[in-house]
Amino acid sequence: MKRIILSVVFIVLSAVPASANVNVVATLPWIGSIVKEIGRDKVDLKILVKPSQDPHFIEAKPSMILSVYKADILMFNGLDLETGYLPVLIESSRNPKVQPGQRGNFDCSNFISVLEKPSTVDRSMGDVHPLGNPHYHYSPSRVLKVAEGMSDVLSEADPANEAFYKANFAAFKERLAKKQKEWKGMLAKGKRFVAYHKLFEYLASEFGFQVIAYIEPRPGIPPSAGYIEQLLDTIKRTKPDGILLTPANGTEEADFLSRKSGTKVVVLPNDVGSVKPGQDWFSFMDEVISDLR
Amino acid sequence: MRLRTTLLFLLVLSFACSLPAFADDFELRLKVLEDTLKEQQQKIQEQQKVIDGLTDELSAIKGAQAAAMPVAAPVSEPKPSKLSGLFGGAAMTNPYLSLILDTYLYSSSIRQDGLAGRGIPGYNRFGIDRRKGFNLDSAELFIFAPVDPYFNLYANIPMTENGAEVEEAYFVTSSLPAGLQVKGGRFKSGFGRINGQHPHAWDFADIPLIYRATLGDEGISENGGQVTYLPDLPFYLQLGAEALQGANDHMFGADAKGGPHAFAGFAKASLDTGDYSTILFGPSVLFGSTKNNSIKELTTLTGNSQLYGFESVYKWKPSKDKGLVVQGEYFYRRQAGNLTDDLTLTSNSLRRAQDGFYVQSLYQMGRWRAGARYDLLDFLAHDYILDGQDKGQGPRPWRVSGALEFNPTEFSRLRLQYNHDMSGRDGRANDECFFQLIFGIGAHAAHTF
Repeated sequence: MKRIILSVVFIVLSAVPASANVNVVATLPWIGSIVKEIGRDKVDLKILVKPSQDPHFIEAKPSMILSVYKADILMFNGLDLETGYLPVLIESSRNPKVQPGQRGNFDCSNFISVLEKPSTVDRSMGDVHPLGNPHYHYSPSRVLKVAEGMSDVLSEADPANEAFYKANFAAFKERLAKKQKEWKGMLAKGKRFVAYHKLFEYLASEFGFQVIAYIEPRPGIPPSAGYIEQLLDTIKRTKPDGILLTPANGTEEADFLSRKSGTKVVVLPNDVGSVKPGQDWFSFMDEVISDLR
Repeated sequence: MRLRTTLLFLLVLSFACSLPAFADDFELRLKVLEDTLKEQQQKIQEQQKVIDGLTDELSAIKGAQAAAMPVAAPVSEPKPSKLSGLFGGAAMTNPYLSLILDTYLYSSSIRQDGLAGRGIPGYNRFGIDRRKGFNLDSAELFIFAPVDPYFNLYANIPMTENGAEVEEAYFVTSSLPAGLQVKGGRFKSGFGRINGQHPHAWDFADIPLIYRATLGDEGISENGGQVTYLPDLPFYLQLGAEALQGANDHMFGADAKGGPHAFAGFAKASLDTGDYSTILFGPSVLFGSTKNNSIKELTTLTGNSQLYGFESVYKWKPSKDKGLVVQGEYFYRRQAGNLTDDLTLTSNSLRRAQDGFYVQSLYQMGRWRAGARYDLLDFLAHDYILDGQDKGQGPRPWRVSGALEFNPTEFSRLRLQYNHDMSGRDGRANDECFFQLIFGIGAHAAHTF
């Protein structure tokens, strides 16, 4: 009997994971990539959304609930980008650490200044994000702020390794400053593009180009044939430098516009690893900038 | 002469003197101007000194304040609070409100007065409660918000032409330890899969036959309490238990007993079978005391009932424009008791053991979605034993359905559905057609799996 109890105790104890790492769940690949820069091997990371998925159309899966249940910190993009699945994950996870208001509920957008926050909004305007444009992962200056926030929250969750996280952030900051110079030098200012979705506003403001028109007549609403004809006229008249899309968008309309107008189609990754697997955020930005040249 | 000379001299003198006097006056005025300018310059310099002093003082105060604060934030952008709401959409109102309109056009090959009497013989007597032509299923008010850091509150109030009804109104805990969660109030039971979904979220306009036969047109929604548990395992497993009042008049009945007299238990397991595909499956049980007149008008069944269910779902969603869902549920029901004629009070023993299933599949392409469904009752068990004798109920009830949806956005849905329904056991088909419109406004509620 004693042996049985002992062996049960042993099994229970051995089921407790040996590593004292911080369990981080990130919704999007870019968030995961930045956490890796700051947390390295002191963080066990789980990313919920695949790089090839459109972040606007994610469905909650039970396996995601399980991941959030085990998380110490849940890091998400915010600005309502995850509103279709994250609330249900947080509630169903029944994890007190990641409930709203807790330290483990880490909204990356709290660290940035938001572009395009509409003063009034209703759904006749399409699927407008009422809190502003949520696609700030293309903005190096904002990603730096997020990384700083991450180093703070990791230090709070794991004070023993505070110096480690701060040093990693300092290294990240230095590398980013160098890269930012390099990227700005690569990209000529004043270019003009047509884009599929309102995805590149932060990129445009940071690197000095313009998005003059969209393939979607309203955010989230696919274009009609009539609208595409109108857009073709606009493209022929204004001669933009390219048509920007991501692999998650359909290429049908862009290919048509490109064929008729001679404007090239530029397929940019919508997140880290969505075109080239195995990327980190730096190589993702490298790819974005070199595609835009 | 002297006087004249003197006068002349004076005149000349005064004239001669007047020139330098004029020059003197000019110089004087210039000097006054210069002095004033100097004076003003001095004043400005003095004021500048005062301003500089004040500025220094102010920045010193600011610096002291910043030093006094625990976290000095020398960033140009202020860091806002790290807190954010469970449901996002801070621009929306609190509590979060939405309204869902569910309306449809209905046609049937059976006359209107025949529909009301078309139950499923052997299961229940309840007919089809639809009008040929225009129907309002409901305008459903959905309200949700966190109560405090420990509870979330939800209410679902469908309004029909007969008035409003509280379909659900319950709290859920959010911060219990050890993977536990408690729900209480009035809610849809966790038994089975479709039972937990609201009618506007169903994949077809109507509920599967096996639900209609055992739980009713809307499934089972009860006053009660629920505890669910998520054990720490490498795969998803949810275990749940419920104590319910037992008012459902298909399985139980409000007067079957004084207190809560219906109980449910369920387990749901899920695995990801690939990056884009997931399965979920699990058994459920629902049991309790029965007293109702669902079998025949003016007859009362008194006894107890058990319903066993098994659900399974496969979902494949490689992109936003493509998706496949295959889903099925199997139910087996046992009931034992006495069937009493309310007028003559004669009583006979009744034992029922019946089963059935549905399978359905939906394929999505862009904004379009097509679905097919097959329903069968009396699949393996069809006992209806009255006074020890098996009363055969006739041919097996079955139904096939096809549906085509167009979803302009995730907030609107147009559905055309056709049913070939042979559940009346009389050899007559009910060929039904639905043209259903569903619209949602207000806060964006997250979808469960």
